[in-house]
Amino acid sequence: MDLSAKNKWILLIFSAAAGFINGFLGGGGGVIAVALLLSVLKLHQKYAQATALLVVLPLTAVSAAVYIFKDSVDWIPTLWTTLGVVVGGIVGALALNRLKGNVAKLIFALVLIAGGVKMFF
Amino acid sequence: MQTFLLILFGFLAGIMGGMGMGGGTLLVPLLSFLQLPQRTIQGANLISFLPMCCVALGFHAKNKLLAPQHIGWLIAPAIVMSVAGALAANAADNDILRYCYAAFLLAVGLWQLVVAVRFELRRKAQLPRSDAKGTDNSPQPPRS
Repeated sequence: MDLSAKNKWILLIFSAAAGFINGFLGGGGGVIAVALLLSVLKLHQKYAQATALLVVLPLTAVSAAVYIFKDSVDWIPTLWTTLGVVVGGIVGALALNRLKGNVAKLIFALVLIAGGVKMFF
Repeated sequence: MQTFLLILFGFLAGIMGGMGMGGGTLLVPLLSFLQLPQRTIQGANLISFLPMCCVALGFHAKNKLLAPQHIGWLIAPAIVMSVAGALAANAADNDILRYCYAAFLLAVGLWQLVVAVRFELRRKAQLPRSDAKGTDNSPQPPRS
């Protein structure tokens, strides 16, 4: 598949935004990466979700380095959280290969809205 | 108790993260229940993502779910701007970060809700014509 000039610009602009958000908010770039892979590169949902991890890994490494360099990391809670995330990540990665349907996305959307409302207060 | 919750919240978010659905997007609001400063939460989110991502990518590579063609167009600009974003975050007030995150979550949540509902409606509308579509779990090409 060849990329048109217009699609290249769309990728450049939106992924720049995704990168800024991922650094500024410490996450969230993946959601935008998935959307770009789905809509511009026309990947199927499962491939988009898996490939998005490949996109977000280098950005997160760079952002994390800046946070560490600026002494913004509290290591004790970070390491406990990391333990949980790694175990959960293995479960999630195994589940993705079996995932079908749209239900997970619906639940995810509702959880995000609830989280957003909670964080305002 | 705090330690248990850190591991539990990490586990829940890790499941979403491993599926590539934005585990970080979930971990930040969960950790905000624990009265940690917003920047500490964001740092924990970034760092915890790194090993999880490597493990998950290993699985996805084995399952042949990676389609890396053209992704340089996403990675290059995103890396540059992620440095700018991280520097801005380290200069910003914790409350500002929290409000920005909340606004981001609401925007993504509403957007994903619209996408999911529209998909569901379209699928229902197509149902009489298509037979096994949507429930087919056999290997498919990465691109449509």
